[in-house]
Amino acid sequence: MNSKTTTIGGQAVTVKLAMKMEDSLQAFAVRAACFIGEQDIPYSEEFDGHDFGATHILACLGEEPVGTVRLRWFKSFAMPERLAVMQRFRGNGIGQLLIERCRQLAESRGANTLYTQALPQDVSYWEKHGWRRLDAEDTGKGLKRLVAMVRPVDPSRPLPDADAPEQVTLRNEPQVDTSGLPVGGDRR
Amino acid sequence: MTQHATTDLGNRPEITIKLASTSDEMMQCFMLRAAVFMGEQQCPYWEEYDGNDYTASHLILYVDGEPAASIRVRWFANFAKLERAIILKRYRSYGLFLPFVHWAKEFCRKKGYPKAYLHGQKRLWPIFERDGFRKVDDKIFHFSDHEYGAFACDLDVGEDSPTVTTDPMVLNRPEDQLDMPGILEESMERGTSNPHAGWTERRAT
Repeated sequence: MNSKTTTIGGQAVTVKLAMKMEDSLQAFAVRAACFIGEQDIPYSEEFDGHDFGATHILACLGEEPVGTVRLRWFKSFAMPERLAVMQRFRGNGIGQLLIERCRQLAESRGANTLYTQALPQDVSYWEKHGWRRLDAEDTGKGLKRLVAMVRPVDPSRPLPDADAPEQVTLRNEPQVDTSGLPVGGDRR
Repeated sequence: MTQHATTDLGNRPEITIKLASTSDEMMQCFMLRAAVFMGEQQCPYWEEYDGNDYTASHLILYVDGEPAASIRVRWFANFAKLERAIILKRYRSYGLFLPFVHWAKEFCRKKGYPKAYLHGQKRLWPIFERDGFRKVDDKIFHFSDHEYGAFACDLDVGEDSPTVTTDPMVLNRPEDQLDMPGILEESMERGTSNPHAGWTERRAT
């Protein structure tokens, strides 16, 4: 099913959906290493309550978990987020392998839009891989310092001209009706 | 024993230490270790999660409710082994390490273990020595890229440490609260209905 592959030191990177407790734990451990360990994000912000309503995709080099992404499902779009690759394995295209798996999964479920929120410094990375800003003027200078970005699931079918409900997607599920920032407060 | 280790003096953060007793608390311990060992020290996943996590007790420390530090304890016949002790980077200037290790030693002592044992990374030897640990021998060994020495600390187990003749309902209590009545003691109010006795009798006939 994967059209793209990556090898590191002659060993193939495999990408799979997390189907077992152990798979999910590996995905969570990669995120903890990258976001809590490296970027100093508080635990309660990283594990925000959405993990058990989402699909987790895991990249492994042999037996070693090296990357992960979380895919959340909305009615009109799928949202890849929490993309993380272990520091020493970066620069090998693992991130795009994970995003491609998200794209395939979204396609198989009939979604036609991928939506994500990028840090301003990462926008050019996403643009290089076929994403565009939802609002072309958005520079991420607002309170959240995040830029909403979209990409068609099928590159030959342009996106419909509808707005993704950006304000809703970062909230805790039970708080969907209250005005809210990312759980845990400001992103540092 | 799970009560707050410090008080709410002024703006001091509130520190809570407890035995991880739910899957969420276990997960917090595991994720803190991933942050420090995998994220900061580049330890491979399978060295960090070495297969001993589900035979161990996990201790967790919170700073103002936020998971901040953890220690894993494994139980051998005559000693308890403290391992995988970490503090999240942002909490390292709070002086949490010695109080946390002290709490861990108390936990082991109250369970009746006369000795705490650990493998100390060489750079941390003075800290363990300050806390009453002594080198077991002169051997230096290494794993996961670090040099270690084995340390032990005698614990003063009292008369009240658990034995087979201890009140059975004390042994049933949550292990970090052996001095407080547990949920099974509350269940005693329901009395005995021996709900499975009928099955056993039917099987016997």
